[in-house]
Amino acid sequence: MPKVSIDGIEVEVRKESTILEAARKAGIWIPALCNNPVIPNLATCRLCLVELDRGGRKQLVTSCNYPVRGDTVVSVSSERARRARRGVMELLLARAPESEELKELASRMGVDGTPYPTVTEAQRNCILCGLCIRVCEEVIGCSAIGFAGRGVDRSVTTPFRLASEDCIACGACAVVCPVGTIQIRIHEDTGEAEISPFKSRAKLLVCEECGKRMVTEPVAFQVNDRVKIDWEKFRKLARLCPECRRKKAAESVAMVALKKED
Amino acid sequence: MKEGIIKEIVNRYNNDDGMLIPMLQDIQAEYGYLPPEQLRVLSKTLDIPLMRIYSISTFYASFRHAPKGQHDITLCMGTVCYLKGSKQISDMICEEYNIEPGNTTSDRLFTLNAVNCVGACAVAPVMIVDRKYYGNMTPESALEIIHKLNLTIEAGDAGKSQKSQ
Amino acid sequence: MKRTNIDESILSPHISSPAELEVLSEKIRKLKAPSTKTVRVCGGPGCTAKGSLEIYALFIKAAEKLPEDIKIDNKCVGCHGLCERGPIVIIGSGDANGEIFYQQVEEPDVAEIFRETVLGGRIVERLLYEDSTTGKKVKSSEEIPFYKTQERIALTQNGIIDPTSINDYIAVGGYSALVKALTTMNPEDIIDEVIKSELRGRGGGGFPTGRKWRSCRDAEGDQKYVICNGDEGDPGAFMDRAVMEGNPHSIIEGMVIGAYAIGASQGFIYVRNEYPLSVERLGAAIEQARETGFLGRNIMESSFSFDIRINRGGGAFVCGESTALMASLEGRVGEPRAKYVHTVEHGLHDQPTNLNNVETWANIPSIINKGGEWFSSIGTEGSKGTKVFCLVGKIKNTGLVEIPMGMTLRQIIYDIGGGVKNDKAFKAVQTGGPSGGCIPEQFLDTPVGFDELTRLGSMMGSGGMIVMDEDTCMVNIAKYFLNFLKGESCGKCTPCREGIPQMLHILERITKGEGEDDDLEKLEVLGTLLSEASLCALGKTAANPVLSTIKYFRKEYEEHIYHQRCPAKECRGLFFYEILPEACKGCGICLKNCPVDAISGEKKEPHLIDQEICTKCGICFEKCPFGAIEKV
Repeated sequence: MPKVSIDGIEVEVRKESTILEAARKAGIWIPALCNNPVIPNLATCRLCLVELDRGGRKQLVTSCNYPVRGDTVVSVSSERARRARRGVMELLLARAPESEELKELASRMGVDGTPYPTVTEAQRNCILCGLCIRVCEEVIGCSAIGFAGRGVDRSVTTPFRLASEDCIACGACAVVCPVGTIQIRIHEDTGEAEISPFKSRAKLLVCEECGKRMVTEPVAFQVNDRVKIDWEKFRKLARLCPECRRKKAAESVAMVALKKED
Repeated sequence: MKEGIIKEIVNRYNNDDGMLIPMLQDIQAEYGYLPPEQLRVLSKTLDIPLMRIYSISTFYASFRHAPKGQHDITLCMGTVCYLKGSKQISDMICEEYNIEPGNTTSDRLFTLNAVNCVGACAVAPVMIVDRKYYGNMTPESALEIIHKLNLTIEAGDAGKSQKSQ
Repeated sequence: MKRTNIDESILSPHISSPAELEVLSEKIRKLKAPSTKTVRVCGGPGCTAKGSLEIYALFIKAAEKLPEDIKIDNKCVGCHGLCERGPIVIIGSGDANGEIFYQQVEEPDVAEIFRETVLGGRIVERLLYEDSTTGKKVKSSEEIPFYKTQERIALTQNGIIDPTSINDYIAVGGYSALVKALTTMNPEDIIDEVIKSELRGRGGGGFPTGRKWRSCRDAEGDQKYVICNGDEGDPGAFMDRAVMEGNPHSIIEGMVIGAYAIGASQGFIYVRNEYPLSVERLGAAIEQARETGFLGRNIMESSFSFDIRINRGGGAFVCGESTALMASLEGRVGEPRAKYVHTVEHGLHDQPTNLNNVETWANIPSIINKGGEWFSSIGTEGSKGTKVFCLVGKIKNTGLVEIPMGMTLRQIIYDIGGGVKNDKAFKAVQTGGPSGGCIPEQFLDTPVGFDELTRLGSMMGSGGMIVMDEDTCMVNIAKYFLNFLKGESCGKCTPCREGIPQMLHILERITKGEGEDDDLEKLEVLGTLLSEASLCALGKTAANPVLSTIKYFRKEYEEHIYHQRCPAKECRGLFFYEILPEACKGCGICLKNCPVDAISGEKKEPHLIDQEICTKCGICFEKCPFGAIEKV
């Protein structure tokens, strides 16, 4: 198994592991924004840069997707690596000035504000990491959102910027967004969930017993589609939230027990 | 509306979604632009998400989502043309016709495109009108050529963009 | 309308052996007997824009009226090179007299050329090239300084053969390398020859081609691909266009040889969308190659099958980057990816893929025919062979040139290029397009080579060579390139996507006279960040134009920042317009045209511009018929 030396600390990892995985095993923290355990890394944010020592020649690489193939020597805390990470964070702070999550991460990195003005008129507070898009495409399987355009005017949006017919309002994009730009808004009056800013709305199914909100109708449809049961039957099974369902199940077991005693 | 054109184009490339860009190029050649409705049909025919098609059609600069003018004017903004004044030519045309590069005049006479280098740098600044190259342009000579363009009003000549609507 | 009255219907049979090729080649040459007159009209982009196609049509019409026994071969050839003097027409008579090179030909000249030269064997003096130093008129292109010191390998047949005719290509030895490779060499021999040649990629990367082929051959995979990168996006560069349109068969021949050596069964030529004629020419050439048996199943009766498909780009400069190009071929957006895993191992569709530039492929047939050793005898230690350049900008002889590596910038710009246009002062030469840098006068004696240019803070790039004079503002040039890249960045990674607009923002302030003290430092910090942190070469080299101009023209930046002045008098608002009293005739045209009434003066008296009111729009400067207004 190849050995990875990170800032002097040595760990052994499986071949084709990434430097980031090795660092985590060694207990060394490297900032990473567009990194997510379920989605393969594309290294778009560039925050996880480290300095690789190739026996004389040093090179900055992104640790989230650099494959370890043999013994590897890495420096996370070298001046060059720190400077690069700081520079990237400063650019991100200029891009998304309102994100609290980003400011927190910057603070943890020791980056205090940015010398750069916000120069883009385009989608602010989106760092274009692409996590929302990829979770929608690869994990949920809907491809309701995606990139439009290219360069600094690129944005994350829906086809033709209209409410997407493919969106099931599951909220996975909101969960995975590292800067808090995508939000799930609940509309009490209409019983709908809205994914902002994508203009997707869907009716929320509620527990018939306690009234708690469960999932959106399209999500339920999707699940039903996969398990292939008659919708009405499915709806009957899904009319209770997990807690109420447990309660009801416990009650019926108790009833059977009582009957037996009689 | 041309029926079955999308199916024909998809068949042309053996239903291979890896050939999405040539398919879009063929659709644009047919309609003069990419009609949103046709992209929806393409999405269903190929069984790929509409979002994927939209991402591609907005990434590559050659694709249009709105009908173009009867004449196509392309100004080269490559380094040499720029050094020799292509920006002034562009500004002059935009001012006279009240448009921005990439747009079409309100009477649909022409669409003005700005591209980065058409490879005729020796005769910069270059203007291409309906695929014909004009070299050593000045704002005056460029406008002179454009003033000579005619708007053909007859139904048959109204251009493909009309037919597609 | 046939271009020639020579019957070529007996030609183009199927070729399956070297002997058959030689027989065909002989046959074609014999058809064009010594008595055949050849008329070559240049159909390159420069000449075409000046009306050369109309001239070509006139020559064909003239030939139609002739009796059968007079053989005329009209050809519309690829870019001959001296675009400055186009339209170019070359008359050849096949005998010892050699060719006659006419320049700046216009439609009314055709009748005279046809009558006097083509039929009568006489020279039309006024259309000959005049040597500016000797004042003498020269007859053939060999005597023209522009052509004299060039050395042609990739462009050998440009301007000579008809690019739409496979017969023309075969007649000059075309496809002999393919036949030789497939029938007398095995794949390892071929790769050895390319390694021996020390050919380095001509697209800008400069990676040793032979080594790339070997890695791809050695890679594991049941399906391999070869790709020709025809996405020539550098503004100021049309080398690849000239080869694709002037000699498409040379590319096909190179690709078949490469595919055979590597073990690839499918090839792609990716042509940028802005080159429809290249797509047309290559398409026609592929058809012809298939008919003749050089593409398709069992080429040359071997077990080797290979075919080529053309894909057009969609309008994205970034698709010139190899991984972005492959993404585009897969029907995705043109986003590059990390190259920690090489494309020769996992490229197109995750399969071993060998990608080379147009010019690189075009060099292969010569290397196979004359040997790798021959190729490596040309050039310098680290850069072998020749390089095609587009010499453009403020130069007397704009055009397409091919020179041996090692020739100096001075030799190219002055001996071949004739020096700066209008005899203005040389300021800089820009190489490498948006990824390159500006090289100032003190380095003009640098020999041209990959490493030499990189050491100067520029790079070889694909071959664009833009000459700039004293009237060029270097800050404005940096701004231009950044603006270009801003629109072409794919947007995937943070440093490129956000860093370029930040740098551009600073440069815009500077060119408006709103520069700040720490601007140069900020630019240098951002430049370093981009080169270290970007995902692909576009981002990594994006700062080169800015950094190289700051390095060599720092004073010019400082003038803008600290004195709100543009020494080159290009940046609006950072220089003044002044009326020269001695030259002013008092005609009043400037006064009438001034949009803010800043000019005053009596009729026939020198006028005056009120600098307080003047908005520096420049209209007076444009309109003055006596050149009495000066930029100060």
